[in-house]
Amino acid sequence: MSGRRTAFEIYWEILVFCRTPQSFTGIINRCDLNSKTGQEYLRFLVEKEYLVEVAEGDKTRYLSTERAGEYTALFGSLYRKLFDAPPRFKL
Amino acid sequence: MHESALVRFKSEIRHFYVITIANIVFAALVMAFGISVLVGEAVSMYETFSTALYVLYSPVVLFVALVAALTGFSWLLTSIRVFEGIETIKDDLDGMGSEVPDEDLTRLIVSMLSHYRDNRATIRTMILVCTLGGVCSFLLGVAGSLEHLSVSADGVVFTLNNYLVIPFMLLTLGIALVSLTSSSYFSRFARVWDGRLDEIEESEALLKETLEMDRR
Repeated sequence: MSGRRTAFEIYWEILVFCRTPQSFTGIINRCDLNSKTGQEYLRFLVEKEYLVEVAEGDKTRYLSTERAGEYTALFGSLYRKLFDAPPRFKL
Repeated sequence: MHESALVRFKSEIRHFYVITIANIVFAALVMAFGISVLVGEAVSMYETFSTALYVLYSPVVLFVALVAALTGFSWLLTSIRVFEGIETIKDDLDGMGSEVPDEDLTRLIVSMLSHYRDNRATIRTMILVCTLGGVCSFLLGVAGSLEHLSVSADGVVFTLNNYLVIPFMLLTLGIALVSLTSSSYFSRFARVWDGRLDEIEESEALLKETLEMDRR
């Protein structure tokens, strides 16, 4: 996904993608981030224990924790709620 | 909740897609009509100045045709830019069939919001360009077909060049009507999506709290 997104949208994307262990490169490719911003987002999520680093051989992979579920559920419900009401004009 | 959100999202995306396609078609038509009238006027200009024939060109029609051709061109470019994003979202949505998991729906909503954020300024320009294109087409249709027009206290009297011009006039008036209608729909969509962006901004406080982002 690309385009102008908020930090919260990017966090959600990373957390959903990392439900299965993902490499740093995989995450930045999937979420269309450059490595610098990608590192910042991942560092934040690891600090807050929404992501854990898992060592697989000599590679590090990122995996969403149970705590991430609370955030992704809230995010999803808030965004889907936008379409609870029909637009105020006839389509 | 999910079913209705999905149905509404699908319906909005489809309508937006159709309006964008209509815009592309009519932008191309406006540009083509503008160019064809420009060429006709250029021939009249050449004949007026280079031959003994008494052929008068109309600077008003020339100007309106020029504006229509340029407006059509810029309208076409902006419509294509908006169309590409909406087409991707619509294709993804269609590819998922009738059963769309919550998470995929959320992803598509995020895509649409980011596409709207990216093209917010373009869509605003498009609303103006559509209106201008509609007005130009209307003027072109009227100016190209009227032979005589007089407005007095008794009423409006006009004569048409000949009956052959009527289909051209109706076509340009049709373009005017469609572009003004799509401009109106674009502005309604823009209002709705602006409202959604505001709603999302308001709920960011809750997301921030959940993420414990006090330090940011």
